[in-house]
Amino acid sequence: MAQEIDVSLVNVTKKFGDLIAVDNVSFDVPKGSFFSILGPSGSGKTTILRMIAGFEVPTSGDIYIGGERMNDVPPNKRPCNMVFQRLALFPMMNVLDNVMYGLRRRGGMSKEEMVRRAEEALERVGLAGLGKRRIHQLSGGQQQRVALARSLVLEPTVLLLDEPLASLDLKLRQAMRLELKHLQERLGTTFVYITHDQTVAIAMSDTIAVINKGHIEQIAPPEELYRRPATHFVASFVGENNILAEGTLVRLVDDQVGEVDVGGVLMVGRLGEPLSPGEKVDLFVRPEMILLQLGKHTPGILGKVAEIDFDGSHSLVVVQLLESKRPLSINVKVQHTEQAPDVHVGNVVTLSWNWVAANVFRHQPLQGI
Amino acid sequence: MPTGLKRRASLWLLLLPMLMWIGFLFVLPHIKLFLLSFQDRYTGAFTLKNYATFFTNPLYRGVFTHTVVYSVLATLITLAIAFPAAFVVTKVLDERAKALVVIAIILPYWVSELIQAFTWMVIFRETGILSYLLRTLGITSHNIEFLYHNWTVIVGLVYTSLLFMVIPIINSLETLDDSLIEASYDLGGNFWSTMREIVIPHSAPGIMVGSIMVFMLVLGNYVTVTLLGGKNSFWFTENIYDQFIVRFNQHQGAAFSVILLTFSVLFVWTVLKITKQDITEAM
Repeated sequence: MAQEIDVSLVNVTKKFGDLIAVDNVSFDVPKGSFFSILGPSGSGKTTILRMIAGFEVPTSGDIYIGGERMNDVPPNKRPCNMVFQRLALFPMMNVLDNVMYGLRRRGGMSKEEMVRRAEEALERVGLAGLGKRRIHQLSGGQQQRVALARSLVLEPTVLLLDEPLASLDLKLRQAMRLELKHLQERLGTTFVYITHDQTVAIAMSDTIAVINKGHIEQIAPPEELYRRPATHFVASFVGENNILAEGTLVRLVDDQVGEVDVGGVLMVGRLGEPLSPGEKVDLFVRPEMILLQLGKHTPGILGKVAEIDFDGSHSLVVVQLLESKRPLSINVKVQHTEQAPDVHVGNVVTLSWNWVAANVFRHQPLQGI
Repeated sequence: MPTGLKRRASLWLLLLPMLMWIGFLFVLPHIKLFLLSFQDRYTGAFTLKNYATFFTNPLYRGVFTHTVVYSVLATLITLAIAFPAAFVVTKVLDERAKALVVIAIILPYWVSELIQAFTWMVIFRETGILSYLLRTLGITSHNIEFLYHNWTVIVGLVYTSLLFMVIPIINSLETLDDSLIEASYDLGGNFWSTMREIVIPHSAPGIMVGSIMVFMLVLGNYVTVTLLGGKNSFWFTENIYDQFIVRFNQHQGAAFSVILLTFSVLFVWTVLKITKQDITEAM
């Protein structure tokens, strides 16, 4: 059976004057999934969300929600609700009135029923009994929950979230992240979440669409995005990565794997796109995917430990390559387990990785991210 | 001198010009006015006669009521015109257009109220522009006198008051986050419910300040009322002027002044109480 699709964008383009904010974007959001749109600021992700909500009209292309074309439907008639970045709670009302606002607009329901539903929604987000509070009497996390309850009480087909966690401090953000994910799983409502924070997107999403300069770079589950980035941009934007830039593709080991010469040192990696020998390429390798051994080993890349950053559960070891013609260093994340090598600054070490851990793309100047 | 005392002294020094201004030109005259109002015109002895005149003479009471009713009306009409304008200026126009409109609103106030009133006279008089236009367009067969009607006075008063309503409302609307309006629509609200539940409650302090200022200005207006309303304007300030200047009865005029002042203070206070607004918050 084909999966039901809740939100669908078909060749959507949005121009503001000469500026193309969203460039021919298409994607489907399956019913009940947590879909994130990840991109740097100015990439067009907010515009996409606002087009789904109805605050912006696409220059061309179609938007469907629950199978119905939404292009000409005003925001107050769409079966989706939005949690705003700055929450946009109504300060002139108390918590309960905020949550009841949508129900009152919809009408056709007794006052008691509205109150009951609003209180139920508050309970669902863990704010039972706080209905009489004023908005400014709540903490940042509680305000987040009110904003969620205010949208969820309307039982929307799709809930749109515009980086609502961005304003919270780290601890609270992590807690709310989990809570949001659990809430989504429990309710089964389709969430479309936009963020520039890849850790948030990776932790919560079923599917992530990475967007850059108005066009989609890759749509994939978080793990695939992380392990097999489809483009140079995704590789550099998602997760920590060592970027060994301006190497030369020496030979193709097979149709998936290539050998790259970076500053005279040979390295292997997965080919992220079709490449031919002699091309100028960049190689990306995850710090936690590199095997670090004390002393000289073959095969491997020889280096000297230049710096160690202790970070609790693991250390980030900065290794200066010994055999490269230009100064190159690779960061290695070493987990603190009993078998972990006892590394000190100045040690000679050998680095190696499986080809699947590294990704090779045609060289591009790095964008400021 | 200790530094704390020195600082306090310099603060008072900064306030001194204003305190002197208020003291000599506002407080002292009003004390004198208050004392005069309780004195007999001829003997100077204490009397309540001046107040009795107001409460027993239906003419004065009538003019007073007329003044209050039309002041409220003028304030409400000013609000009805100013609020949509302020909303468009703050929430619809872009920065450039906004600056232009604000300048257009302020520009008329570069000429004095007197000149404004004369301008209206040029438009409304029997041989004026409006009358001429209607006649040349064939709508009327003869000249019409538009001056000296209640509504002429209202037009003039609203015109001179608009700025004092628009500016506070613009200020209060500027602090309204646009995403609140979007959130209202997102939750199913339409234009009217968004206005009623979000925009107007948010700008209530601005509406209050504007209304108080306009009401006070209109209630105490003399120039516009006299020029546009003439003998038919029935404005209480004209009674006061009459007593002081025409009848030379300072004591009676003082009593009228005190009545007008007391009433306007009480009226504003009551309105604030009813609408549950805090004067310090509103200002």
